[in-house]
Amino acid sequence: MSESTTAILEAAAATETQSVKLSMQQALNRALDEILSNDPKTVVFGEDCGQLGGVFRITDGLQAKHGGSRVFDTPLAESGILGMSVGLAMAGFHPIPEVQFDGFAYPAINQIVCQIARMNYRSRGTLPMPITLRVPSFGGIRAPEHHGESLEALFAHVPGLKVVSPSDPHDAYHLLKYAASRPDPVIFMEPKSRYWQKGDVGTSDGGTLTGARVVRPGRHLTLVAWGAMVARCLQVAELAAEDGIDVEVLDLRWLKPIDAEALATSVGKTRRAVVVHEAPLTSGLGAEVAQLITQSCFDTLKAPVERVTGFDVPYPSGDLEDEYIPNIDRILLGIQRVLEYRRG
Amino acid sequence: MAEISFPLPDLGEGLIEATVLDWLVSPGDQVERNQPLVELETSKSALELPSPQAGKVIRIHGAPGETINVGEPLVVFEVPDNTAGIVGTVPQDDAPKRRVRLSAVLDED
Amino acid sequence: MSGRHTEEHIHTVEGTDPHLFVEVHEPAEGTDTGLRPVLLLHGFSSSTKLNWGDTGWISTLKSAGRRVITVDLPGHGQSSSPEDLDSYSPSRIRADLLQIVADAGARPVRAGDPASGLDVIGYSLGSRLAWEFGATQPELVHRLVLGGPNKEDPLASFDLAAAQRYLADGTPIEDESTAGLLKMAQLLPSNDLFALLSLIEAIKGEPFDPAEAVPHMPMLLVAGDKDERAVTMPELASIAARAGGMVEQLLVPGRNHSNAVTSRVFKDAAVAFLGV
Repeated sequence: MSESTTAILEAAAATETQSVKLSMQQALNRALDEILSNDPKTVVFGEDCGQLGGVFRITDGLQAKHGGSRVFDTPLAESGILGMSVGLAMAGFHPIPEVQFDGFAYPAINQIVCQIARMNYRSRGTLPMPITLRVPSFGGIRAPEHHGESLEALFAHVPGLKVVSPSDPHDAYHLLKYAASRPDPVIFMEPKSRYWQKGDVGTSDGGTLTGARVVRPGRHLTLVAWGAMVARCLQVAELAAEDGIDVEVLDLRWLKPIDAEALATSVGKTRRAVVVHEAPLTSGLGAEVAQLITQSCFDTLKAPVERVTGFDVPYPSGDLEDEYIPNIDRILLGIQRVLEYRRG
Repeated sequence: MAEISFPLPDLGEGLIEATVLDWLVSPGDQVERNQPLVELETSKSALELPSPQAGKVIRIHGAPGETINVGEPLVVFEVPDNTAGIVGTVPQDDAPKRRVRLSAVLDED
Repeated sequence: MSGRHTEEHIHTVEGTDPHLFVEVHEPAEGTDTGLRPVLLLHGFSSSTKLNWGDTGWISTLKSAGRRVITVDLPGHGQSSSPEDLDSYSPSRIRADLLQIVADAGARPVRAGDPASGLDVIGYSLGSRLAWEFGATQPELVHRLVLGGPNKEDPLASFDLAAAQRYLADGTPIEDESTAGLLKMAQLLPSNDLFALLSLIEAIKGEPFDPAEAVPHMPMLLVAGDKDERAVTMPELASIAARAGGMVEQLLVPGRNHSNAVTSRVFKDAAVAFLGV
């Protein structure tokens, strides 16, 4: 943990507050520090995770505190990082590997899909894979190719994997600790464009850590999102309110399994839904969400579920990001299409 | 503000140490990414080490003539908390801008 | 332009292509001085990357608004290692260099045209080649900077037979200079030792005689004050001065033959000397 984070936490402890203001970066760093302290079987590793403390400082100071055998650097070989995770998990460890960027996960697909996801099944439950794979994900930081992709649909499609993405520092802190405590492999997708924004992190109570979470209640329409798109949808909801439209924002959080009940409850009330994601449209998770809503709310829906997503093209270079990632106007237009829909 | 330590990197070809020839920056200097920081000599060659990042130099390790092992601290930078990433830029939370206005008659049936 | 010296439109010398790795580095954006290009010639057992890249020379010259031509000598860096001995002879290398700089756009010096001509910076063996190149191409070369220069090429006294015995069966090498040079060459696993020995053999056939052909353009001689391989620099300077050339000498304090090359004092002096 960096000195500044320690100072913040000490100050918070001194005044006995129940929450501290942290960036997602600091919250994840703190969560990893606590996991390493509390579980001697945990090991944290990846490219630049040891000495450097991670390119996003998520593992900053952890090697100095917990030692080089528990927090360490790996070669630039994702297949090796995940392959090693399989062996460590078989040997009773609780690996928390990092794939430095979303697009770097592709070389490790074999290890993730063919080994990690099914080892527990293959071994009839004798070789569980308690691996939490941290993947800085999605776009928004003007980075080069392979540094802005959204792989949730790929991972969610693989039986045996769980997929989660926090949208704020509080959830990042608690969901990471929760994921690391699970016996199953979890793909933990960190929205890298939200690493630096601060938020209150409740230190005593994490709240419900399974399922989706209503981050803004509303009456007229549900915006379904995850990761970095949650913050954008909250902005859109405020703008829609100026126009008299009361939007509910549902942070899906868990992308596998998806909280179908929360979708049914929210859209059962609002009767209109737009799902927003950065990933390309075709075969994106928006289709799954739309189907789940249609299944439960078909009789009361006022319009087909709309999707506002990235385009069916390879992720563009940084200067085109603002056109690719759903922006405020594109989301508002999606809402307008739902509002305008008339049967017959 | 956060501190980032830059240890002597692996200079390749099995080298485990380097000798400081001359510092090209001093504590207090603001440096740009790729700006040369220090002249080093290994058993095989002399070279200039470029800065891995932008930031303010707050400490340097090793006087001219001193030997530093790979992995030992070389330079400590001070950087603003929110620029402590290495790839990409920190997005700014600007006030949301819109061009689209919603218009709808909400029939409450 | 970058890549091996093999594009079809590029000319070969005597019909054979030694496959030298050539790169042309354009001036940093917004700095172009419009001055003539600078050719960099590296030392024995080194390369463009080690001698000029990692040491900060290319970026320094680019930032000073200069266009830079680099070439890896045969058997060095990314150049290939020809089988025939002739490809390594200094005269053949000079002919290849002339073709390379001409292909890269260097043109003879014309009075009043700062873009015409060519400046050359050499280090160690590269300084020997630069000296001879300047002497044989007086119409092309505008100014010379010679780093770590020596009036005799230490490679000429290299005990080739002893080196080959050592490489074959480990027989110790008696001659200190030979042992030192071979050790230096062996330090870099990327070196092609047999190509380097070919180069030495070719150099022994054409040893350096600075008085035989003397460059007349202005030259700057630079060496570390602890450079034992450059103690003859003043003699080289007086040979050039006697021939009527303008000669400046600079000693870099505290530096030797292997570490003078990164020195800022050296770079600043070279940039200033060539910036006219």
